[in-house]
Amino acid sequence: MPDFVKALTSQAGRRTGNRFRRRCRLLPAALIFLCLPMMIWGRTARAADKLPHITVNCDVHKGACTQEIGGVEATLDISPKPVKAMTDLRFRLMLSGKPPAAEPYIDLGMPGMKMGPNKVRLEKVGEGVYEGTGIIVRCPSGKRTWKAAVTVPGRGTVEFIFDVVY
Amino acid sequence: MSFIKPLDLVFLFSGFSVGFGHCIGMCGPIVVSLSLNLKTRSLWIPYLLYHAGRITTYAILGGLMGFSGSFTHIAGRIAGLQKGMMIFAGLLIIVMGVAMNRWISIGPIFGNDYNPDGVVSRSFRKLGKVQSTAVYFPLGLLLGLLPCGPVYTALVAAARTGMDAGNSIEATLAGMGLMVSFGVGTIPALLLVARLAHLNWLKHKAVIYKIGSILMIAVGIYFVIKAVRY
Repeated sequence: MPDFVKALTSQAGRRTGNRFRRRCRLLPAALIFLCLPMMIWGRTARAADKLPHITVNCDVHKGACTQEIGGVEATLDISPKPVKAMTDLRFRLMLSGKPPAAEPYIDLGMPGMKMGPNKVRLEKVGEGVYEGTGIIVRCPSGKRTWKAAVTVPGRGTVEFIFDVVY
Repeated sequence: MSFIKPLDLVFLFSGFSVGFGHCIGMCGPIVVSLSLNLKTRSLWIPYLLYHAGRITTYAILGGLMGFSGSFTHIAGRIAGLQKGMMIFAGLLIIVMGVAMNRWISIGPIFGNDYNPDGVVSRSFRKLGKVQSTAVYFPLGLLLGLLPCGPVYTALVAAARTGMDAGNSIEATLAGMGLMVSFGVGTIPALLLVARLAHLNWLKHKAVIYKIGSILMIAVGIYFVIKAVRY
């Protein structure tokens, strides 16, 4: 009988084999345990890196901000100022050009972080002027950058990114 | 009036998706701490009690939001309490980390091998495992008050459903239903984290256990600093 067969069939060999098999079974769990935190951190970092619009493009504390959406201008103003989290805020949207097919709305969220749906319903208060109330919540992470994604049905969505006061 | 509303389903799925991102990062350390402290005991009953407690708090807050129809009114009143809870959670994680490593002889807080000899301690010991498992429900109740962005977002929606409801009872129930849906949605992600931390091989590897306890202490300190600055 070859030596390696003897070694495997001996008691010590069986013990070594069992240990090896046990370690093999633990390997996937070890990989999951070690890789999961890296995957979570990596995904978060990549998500933040992939967002070119993560830089602030609007100073809501100073006044209204304007961006182009589907060939028309959308101007967003938030009051009262300074814009604080955890307080009732008034959102005012002014659209140039023809009125949209349906009333526009705003989704509030943090760039690169899921916060759940926080929609501001806007109502028409004048020609091309829409208003609604909403709340920007406070994130315990300390991050202050928020986005207001303005959707105008039939024209698209544009994001206003700004810092809020906690 | 149907029992489950479309908005409840929206927040059920919102809780599910937020759970795998935000909640793992924010509440993961607490869940891992509890899981490591359970040692050889079964994971499911303590965790179901913990989540039942957490969701009960969400339901109470959702009911209050729905009833008042104002997020800022209620949120302003509980802000101090939430800050206190964040400090409590941080200290709890630190104490658990210290106890796990046995640097200070206080025994695992919710563990099953705490074996003190004092008169009061013996009385507690007589209550046995049931008491130490039951503590997960009030713990869930308290930690449900932790400040959290997605929870706030769900509470804003709960207040809105209250505004849209026909009467106070309907408003309260609508707010509660939405928050329960959201809370239930967050369970799978947190259970997954708890299950991973509860793997037998992981708990019985001294080095990993030690590293885990040091990480817990670090996370606990981070929680306390965040709470003080909140």
